Amino acid sequence: MRLYVDGWDPGYGTSFDNSGDGPASASSAQVAPDVELPAPDWRPIGPRGDVPMPPTVLLVDGVRRIDAGMWVADDDGVPHRGLAASYAAGVVRCDLERGVAGVAGAQVRRGLFTSSPTATDVRVGTVTYTAHQMGRDDQATLTGGVQAQLAALEAAVSGESRSDDDLLVVDGPLRGRQHLPRAVGYIKTHRVEYLPAELAGVVTRLEAGERTPVFRLGTTWDRYAWYLRLPTASRAPWAGVVRVECSAELAGDEAVALAYRSAATLPRFASSAYKDPRAPQNLVPIAGLERRLRSMLGDARLLYRTLILAARTVIG
Amino acid sequence: MSERTERSDPVGRVLGTADATPLTFWVAVAPGAYLQLDDVVVTSREMPDGSTVTIAGVVTAVRARHEGAQFDSDVFAIADGTLPAQVQEAAEITTTRVTPEVYVPPSPGAIVHRAEGDARANALYFDRMQRQVPMGFGRDGAPVFLNAEFLDGSRGAHVSISGISGVATKTSFATFLLYSVFRCGALGGAGESANSRALIFNVKGEDLLFLDHPNTRLDESTVEQYNKLGLTAGPFPDVRVYAPPRAGDSSGTPDVSSRHTGVDSFYWTLAEFCENRLLPFVFADADDERQQYTMVVHAVTAHLARIAVPADGGISLDGVRIGSYSDLVDHVVNQLNDDATRGVWTGSAVGLGTVNAFARRLIGSKKDLDRLIRGDLAARRPHSINTAESAQVTVVDLHNLPDRAQRFVVGVTLKSEFERKEKAGTAKPLLFVVLDELNKYAPREGSSPIKEVLLDIAERGRSLGVVLIGAQQTASEVERRIVSNSAIRVVGRLDPAEASRPEYGFLPPAQRQRALLAKPGTMFVAQPEIPVPLCVEFPFPSWATRPAEAGPPPNATLRSIVQAADPFAVVGASTKGLEDDDIPF
Repeated sequence: MRLYVDGWDPGYGTSFDNSGDGPASASSAQVAPDVELPAPDWRPIGPRGDVPMPPTVLLVDGVRRIDAGMWVADDDGVPHRGLAASYAAGVVRCDLERGVAGVAGAQVRRGLFTSSPTATDVRVGTVTYTAHQMGRDDQATLTGGVQAQLAALEAAVSGESRSDDDLLVVDGPLRGRQHLPRAVGYIKTHRVEYLPAELAGVVTRLEAGERTPVFRLGTTWDRYAWYLRLPTASRAPWAGVVRVECSAELAGDEAVALAYRSAATLPRFASSAYKDPRAPQNLVPIAGLERRLRSMLGDARLLYRTLILAARTVIG
Repeated sequence: MSERTERSDPVGRVLGTADATPLTFWVAVAPGAYLQLDDVVVTSREMPDGSTVTIAGVVTAVRARHEGAQFDSDVFAIADGTLPAQVQEAAEITTTRVTPEVYVPPSPGAIVHRAEGDARANALYFDRMQRQVPMGFGRDGAPVFLNAEFLDGSRGAHVSISGISGVATKTSFATFLLYSVFRCGALGGAGESANSRALIFNVKGEDLLFLDHPNTRLDESTVEQYNKLGLTAGPFPDVRVYAPPRAGDSSGTPDVSSRHTGVDSFYWTLAEFCENRLLPFVFADADDERQQYTMVVHAVTAHLARIAVPADGGISLDGVRIGSYSDLVDHVVNQLNDDATRGVWTGSAVGLGTVNAFARRLIGSKKDLDRLIRGDLAARRPHSINTAESAQVTVVDLHNLPDRAQRFVVGVTLKSEFERKEKAGTAKPLLFVVLDELNKYAPREGSSPIKEVLLDIAERGRSLGVVLIGAQQTASEVERRIVSNSAIRVVGRLDPAEASRPEYGFLPPAQRQRALLAKPGTMFVAQPEIPVPLCVEFPFPSWATRPAEAGPPPNATLRSIVQAADPFAVVGASTKGLEDDDIPF
């Protein structure tokens, strides 16, 4: 028996999440492995020397924070559960030629997510929580509502400050943003094992910087995908492995070109273990962006106080 | 006052991540702007009653850092273009002035402006100075002033200049300050400026002997700098130079090597030596109570004053003619060694050992003082240093003299000048005394006649119109009462060990550090009204500071000694027109 210690803090889940649809359970996804290589020829593919890094890389990410659990009472006295949440999304523009990385666009929103039909915006001082009405008031629906708004905000900022020869890396699935040119989705955790067992062995055999061949993946939506191992000191089978996705609208060879390009680009951004508990998958620019976005969310205790104040004046 | 509009574009905002206090606060510098050390800034704060408090200050520290970086090594990722970060500069402001005097902190987020024009003058209290003495330029290139009231004795007096030798340019600053005081008209009417006197002791080289010679290395830009300060670049107009007589020369010609014209020799006749009781100044520790022999010094001094009779240049003691200082010493020692006469000289209660200690020291002084105390030169020949009858600036050259003789000259000259001012009873006209190596003449430990004179000047000189401009390498080694009586403290480059001493407590920590690398021509000047010492760069001297720089000598040096003071030069030296009442004769 061999033991591996996963590099991630347990609080983030493991990089190979066994809960829910585990890898052992067969995925219902349609996998077409023959995009780049026929299934029997599958092998790790190294980076190609003639594919340069793009001069500009844009990375998109968002953060959210539940500021407080709320109760919203209607005029007839029926209480509804609610969540007050702050969320922010932004783009880091890494100009690799000039060696300058900066936050190109960042937006902060606050929302009150509740099933109450009469909920209105909460306004205290300069802070506004926009009311979002949800269908049900269970926790999952409410957090799902926050996540949906965050995804929409991420999609909104993704289009900012594009240039001709850049690469857009979206943190998380590309869903909803397939129309963006030269965009790839970047998935750090693997809840579902999409590849059949005979091909999955190629993933665990990957060396740092190598990727699997491109395959086509169809769940509720279609996309091209490939696995890529980032440089990491750990020898755990799934350590440092990320899944990269691109739009299914592309031709097969365009997807392969994007795969080569991502393999040339992403390892450079990999973080080191002593600085980031989610290394190497949590890319350096994204970690920096998240820090910036979190500071833009504002002080949690201050907002909590603000909400208590609002509860006294508006409701109580 | 709060309506001042002379403000340039905003340079930043008061930041809120560090405490803002009424006395110090931090400013985040706006993108595209900068603040450097010594910049003057101003901000304001609205009060609940609708009034505005204006807070002005000086930048005492500046820092820049990467925001968004957690680890030191993040700088590589940032420079690589992979980690987003922002460079943010922040400046520490030390408050100089709050108007009106409501000591509230500026509110974080308040806009900070660079202070220029009237706002700058306001921040640095220049608007309150009725009489300003230009000292040089601040880091922003604008003139910096000294309040003349703290120099001329009306509210304070005395200047203490510290700094290590060679790079601190202490003497240059002292002479520039004198030049500025005499030429800027801040001392009062034109006649007042013209009547004021300066006594400069030259202790090193012949550097100060050329104050009245134009500087041949003076260029256009320096002349322009003088004009910006409201001064005219040029040599000191009215200078008299005194040098000791050449050793072993019976004619008493002055002992100088590089300056050949316009130098007079100074000495004391034996008659003056006895009559004015100058003997204690021969001894370095004549007032030290721990020393037994000082009793003998004072007894002999008194006896000499009693019995000495002037005789043809020299003196006669009990019928014995004495023609030189060596003769005097020999005679006194003989008398003391003689059991029959010893009692007359010293009184009866003095032990033989004590008398011998005195005799030993007296004999030791023969070599050093022989050329200064003379019995062979005509008594009527002008030979004494008297600033009232001399030119505006009197330079006394000491650099050729041994240590004991230097002390004697400084001590006796200061004492006679001080006594003359005491007798005159009025502070005006002022007498400025420039003395380097103050730690030698007024050391912290011990007591001596010369230290007593200097202490007297430091403590009472203000009311008598005697202003001491003292310079020393280490203020920590100078008598504390002299330093603490100085209203104006100036620091050039300091030795690191020296800078940490409490004597420099008036410098904020950042300036203390900067004083370690101050370049020549940069001084930190603390004056009572301004809570932060100002960094000053004073212009290159417009007079010669060494023989190689000296231009043609002025006409006055070619005249005979009686004509040496050119009345028209004296009157012309003042910048403003003279009124009839002011004619300085």
